[in-house]
Amino acid sequence: MKYAYFPGCSQESTAEEYNRSLLAVAQRLDAMELIEIPDWNCCGATPAAAIVHPTLPDGLAARNLAITDEMGLDSVVAPCAACYKNLRKASLDLRKDEALRLELEQSLNNRKLDRVPEVRHPLDVIVNDVGVDNIPVEKPLTGMKIACYYGCLLTRPAGGFDDIEYPTAMDRLLTALGAETVDWAYKTKCCGGGIYMFHEEVSFAMSADVMAHAKAAGANAVAAACPFCQLLLDLYQDKLANIRNTTFNLPVLFFTQLMGLAMGLDRAELGLERLIVSPFGLLAETIDAPEDSREKPKRARAAKPTKWGEA
Amino acid sequence: MFQYQAIHPRQETSPEVEAIVEAVSVCYQCGTCSGSCPVAPAGGMDYTPRTIMRMIQAGLEDEVLSSETVWTCAACYSCAVRCPRDIDITDIMIRLRNLALVRGYPPRTNVARRGRIYNWDFMQIVRRFGRIYELELVLRYHLKTNPLNLLGMAPVGLKMLRKGKLRFLPERAEGRKEVQGLFTELEDKGK
Repeated sequence: MKYAYFPGCSQESTAEEYNRSLLAVAQRLDAMELIEIPDWNCCGATPAAAIVHPTLPDGLAARNLAITDEMGLDSVVAPCAACYKNLRKASLDLRKDEALRLELEQSLNNRKLDRVPEVRHPLDVIVNDVGVDNIPVEKPLTGMKIACYYGCLLTRPAGGFDDIEYPTAMDRLLTALGAETVDWAYKTKCCGGGIYMFHEEVSFAMSADVMAHAKAAGANAVAAACPFCQLLLDLYQDKLANIRNTTFNLPVLFFTQLMGLAMGLDRAELGLERLIVSPFGLLAETIDAPEDSREKPKRARAAKPTKWGEA
Repeated sequence: MFQYQAIHPRQETSPEVEAIVEAVSVCYQCGTCSGSCPVAPAGGMDYTPRTIMRMIQAGLEDEVLSSETVWTCAACYSCAVRCPRDIDITDIMIRLRNLALVRGYPPRTNVARRGRIYNWDFMQIVRRFGRIYELELVLRYHLKTNPLNLLGMAPVGLKMLRKGKLRFLPERAEGRKEVQGLFTELEDKGK
């Protein structure tokens, strides 16, 4: 199936590896063809757009949706969680508010939005349209224990493709690729990406919480689906660890990079070397390790019964 | 008379805020929003979301619009998706932010001032290029707030540089004229 592709600004700078790995993966999946929206514009990102005018975010998104419609496609795929949320919200607003649609059409040189396209996240398309069983696995992610970090905007506002509190799409995907995923409480907790420029201390405290929980859950890697989350957890990981007086040393990969690894794609296409916390040590110990040298999973030992008051 | 108008003591509010007072009137102060908020417990807000809701009900327009909270809400929608009264708390915070900016409320704290600069500059860059240009955003922000911080940014900048995560030249959308038109038109409509 063909989808219009909205890369978003980060995909061309800080998170270029997300873009690259997603396109590489999509190229190998017959059921997912991405066609970039020609001359797309910024979605309005964080709430910044709304401080100028309440309907500006919808307006910025509407231009991209109108071009999608002109391309003759009826769904847009946006990999950045903030773009995804903005475009999706605009799509829903435009469908239910006729007056808004007419107003924005007029503001956009009379572009037409007769059919408002649907907005999807690549994770949604891969899990629900392609299907996790249809992904060719060449190199299972054996030995990787991944904390799937969805971030706040992937499933919000409510009504999206997965649960708002405890989504499972990424867990299902990565488990099907041979990884183990950990059960943890911070899947959708906000990393503070939207305020980190001007409220660094607070957003770092928020991100440090996320990392500490991933570590405590026994993960040896984190999977991200948003360029903001990935940047904070990866680029600033040493700072976050300092806040907690600990070390994390957890590579933070985009879920598309993990897919590429499992599908046996050319690693140069996946941009792994661009990650700040290098994933290569972990890869050598897990999926690249010879079969017999892999650490055997230890059988969980039952906890020693304790008497009341002893613990 | 609507029930929300019966809250006493209740101050008169402007029509824009009156619409928000009505939307918030169903709040029964359970505190789920504050309990879900990741920013408030990290010390990032002067009033918690629950307090803001109550202040809105009481019509404390000036206090709400000059609060730090309207600027430091991370817009993660944790409160909105959990609110048992289905109040769109996040969208209300963003609307308050817009009103605070348009009416020129002096930021009450340094963080609020910086938040205002960051958000405003962000959109000015999008207005010019049709897309964001991170390098200019970071430079503008630090020059306007505390240029010395740029020195502190150097190690992070170098790290990003080494990994090719910094883009030197802006990416311009061909359709930026259209985007500029959208800005002008919406601004002319009286904000």
